[in-house]
Amino acid sequence: MREPGETHAGGAAAVPFFRLDGVTKRFGGVVAVEDVVFDLWPGEVHALVGENGAGKSTLMKIVDGLYGPDEGMLEVGGEAVSFSSPREAEAAGIAMIPQELDLFPELSVAENLFVGRKRPRTRWGGLDWEAMQGEARTRLDALGVDLDATSTVKRLSAANQQIVAIARALVGEARAVIMDEPTSSLTEREASQLFGIIEDLTAEGVGVVYISHRLEEVFEISDRITVLRDGHHIETASASDLDVENLVRLMVGRPLHELFTRSASSPGEVALEVRGLTRDGEFEDVSFTLRRGEILGLAGLVGAGRTELAQSVFGIRPAESGEILVGGQEVRVRSPQGAMEKGIFYVPEERRSQGLVLPFSIKNNITLSILERISRFGFLPRSERQTAEGFAKELSIRGAKLSDPVGRLSGGNQQKVVVAKALAREPGVLLLDEPTRGVDVGAKSEIYRLMDDLAKEGKAILLISSELEEVLSMADRVLVMREGCISGEFGGGEATQENVMTAATGGRSGADGPGEKVSGNE
Amino acid sequence: MSAATAALKRLKFSREAVLLGVLISLVVVMTLLDPLFLSPTTLLNTSRFFVEVGLMALGMTLIIITGGIDLSVGSNLGLVSVAVGFSYAAGLPLPLAILFGLVVGVAAGFFNSVFITFLDLHPLVVTLGTFALFQGLAYGLSNADAVSDFPPWFAYFGQAYLGPVPGQLIIFVVAVAVVWIILSRTSFGRYVYAIGNNEEAARFSGVPIRRVKIALYSGIGLLVAVAAVIYTSRVYTARGDTGLGLELDVISAVVLGGASIYGGSGTIGGTVLGVLIIATLRNGLILAGVPSTWQLFILGVLLLVAVFLNEFFRKGEE
Repeated sequence: MREPGETHAGGAAAVPFFRLDGVTKRFGGVVAVEDVVFDLWPGEVHALVGENGAGKSTLMKIVDGLYGPDEGMLEVGGEAVSFSSPREAEAAGIAMIPQELDLFPELSVAENLFVGRKRPRTRWGGLDWEAMQGEARTRLDALGVDLDATSTVKRLSAANQQIVAIARALVGEARAVIMDEPTSSLTEREASQLFGIIEDLTAEGVGVVYISHRLEEVFEISDRITVLRDGHHIETASASDLDVENLVRLMVGRPLHELFTRSASSPGEVALEVRGLTRDGEFEDVSFTLRRGEILGLAGLVGAGRTELAQSVFGIRPAESGEILVGGQEVRVRSPQGAMEKGIFYVPEERRSQGLVLPFSIKNNITLSILERISRFGFLPRSERQTAEGFAKELSIRGAKLSDPVGRLSGGNQQKVVVAKALAREPGVLLLDEPTRGVDVGAKSEIYRLMDDLAKEGKAILLISSELEEVLSMADRVLVMREGCISGEFGGGEATQENVMTAATGGRSGADGPGEKVSGNE
Repeated sequence: MSAATAALKRLKFSREAVLLGVLISLVVVMTLLDPLFLSPTTLLNTSRFFVEVGLMALGMTLIIITGGIDLSVGSNLGLVSVAVGFSYAAGLPLPLAILFGLVVGVAAGFFNSVFITFLDLHPLVVTLGTFALFQGLAYGLSNADAVSDFPPWFAYFGQAYLGPVPGQLIIFVVAVAVVWIILSRTSFGRYVYAIGNNEEAARFSGVPIRRVKIALYSGIGLLVAVAAVIYTSRVYTARGDTGLGLELDVISAVVLGGASIYGGSGTIGGTVLGVLIIATLRNGLILAGVPSTWQLFILGVLLLVAVFLNEFFRKGEE
């Protein structure tokens, strides 16, 4: 590990490459980041950590010119700048690689590297394909990867797409590269390849901002770590001065175990059983049981097919084969209405696009799933308001009126509205997909307490989550999915961070994961 | 421009108030052109000419709120007119012929909805196809001929008066009330708005999207059929080209009334004002002796202005 300042070549060491000073950004009434300080020196890896919704992405979008700060300033090379677009940031040597890569899947690697850039031209003014491919090859070679510059990006593995995105940043002569959760869909082996590339970059004086919630990774590659919580700057320290335990405490603001609530459980009869569920290209031969009063965790990497599986059980895209049994009876679920009638409700990961009708009021969102039940001859009853009020209270949706459009609420309150809508339908089986994503710590702990209460009431809960701590702390049992298949199942005692990660990535280190097939580059 | 835009933005008119203002100034202009315009008799008479467009606009409002559109209403009107006239000419008793027409109208709407919901095709493309299809069918079946030897009582639908009030105005008022109640007081109405604002979230909330859309497109078919019977009775002739181009008036009225073409917003009150404005304008242009081709031009301008104003109000509300 290097200390910042060590690798500064020449005379450029006096000032950081870029620096944010006292930056505040608000969206409507919601403060995303407040009075935050952050800097990046040439040749260092500076990790930015914090819980979902802590403001990491917002902060980096300010550096990337996507947002202008409401207060505070951004300096590049010691001089105040104000970018009005990512293009201007790029011209200043700053490139951002978002979590959802902004590549063009239908284009070739070489074309992707040159999209939006000055491309080499032939004498006749046409595009000089050979020059482009040559340049692309040089860039890829410099990264030490063996990739065909003419292949279509969508055919590449997730890891190679990530590399193309990095190469793309370097074609733009980036001196600072911001990586947002770059390993979220990579296997362990692919991740270590990526770390090798990051090391090479820093050796050449490129600074890297590394956003990740995988704390082991953060300690593995970063020189300094900055912690954000609820939009505030909490700490910036050298990686060697921190350990996982106190980093977590800084991130959540209290010892980890206090965040979660989970009472001892005694699961009852089987509420939901799935046998051999298959949907081509999404998941294959998935079987599991879920009991009343049980919280079953479903872990796995992004893209492992967990969301697809849950949505299929909910009738969004019905499975092609396999059986679903509710309370021991086989059921055919062809639509969400059908699933709801069987007592299944799915709380989607995509809160804003799938969970809520944003311009609708809190009341109208909560009652949307039960209109048919409460209506008389199709007419909306006067009691609709009270019904909604009851659920809003149960979930302690605070600081908002029932008539407020949900689009204006904080992430935490929005999530509570989605859950309220689900509970209004009184489901026996709840499928929760990343229920605490983008939710502040306070709301998070309330959602955990609610999940615990619901399990105590005898509801069966499937908890899909990419946050291992959440799964390990809340679930009675953990299922792991990898590439569409169940790759591990762990009872309360056996579920450890290591076991679960091994099953999720297909790595060889664990004992319980199948581990035969290590997914590499395609 | 930008200064004017900024100034306009600061004005917080409700859309309905603006429309009402437009309507009143139109009436004033009309009265200046022809002092008789403001007499109750003329006004009530005018109402005979907008009921057909008005009925269809009610259905169109709900469809546009869901983010859909139906371009086939004018053609469907011609098809129903032919169905009524020619089945009667072929020997079917007139009451049955009218019933048959209503069935044809609903069936045509249902036909649209099947393509839109089960094949998941965009309503614009589907109804553009059926726009041609229904019209072609109407021409083909009628052999471009007309039927007008209806029994005298058929005239009741389009030419009767209750005191000074034209019969179809009563039908329209009842239809406005019914659709208004459906949209604002029923779960169906809530679904219509939910689908228009976020169809995906509506699906995840268990909203029966297909059922709602089938009901909407079939429902507008029924409104079209009623309008067709009134129209045919009013002109006392059944022809294939009846209703030709009416979709323009219908859609203009709805958009002018404030429904966003992107879905999610729109009111029955706004649509009724839109219908009244377009009817007054059409009537006034006739009074002023503007040829029908230029009326079309002016209607086109109005539609563009309405779309622009909608965007403008929408942004202001955000």
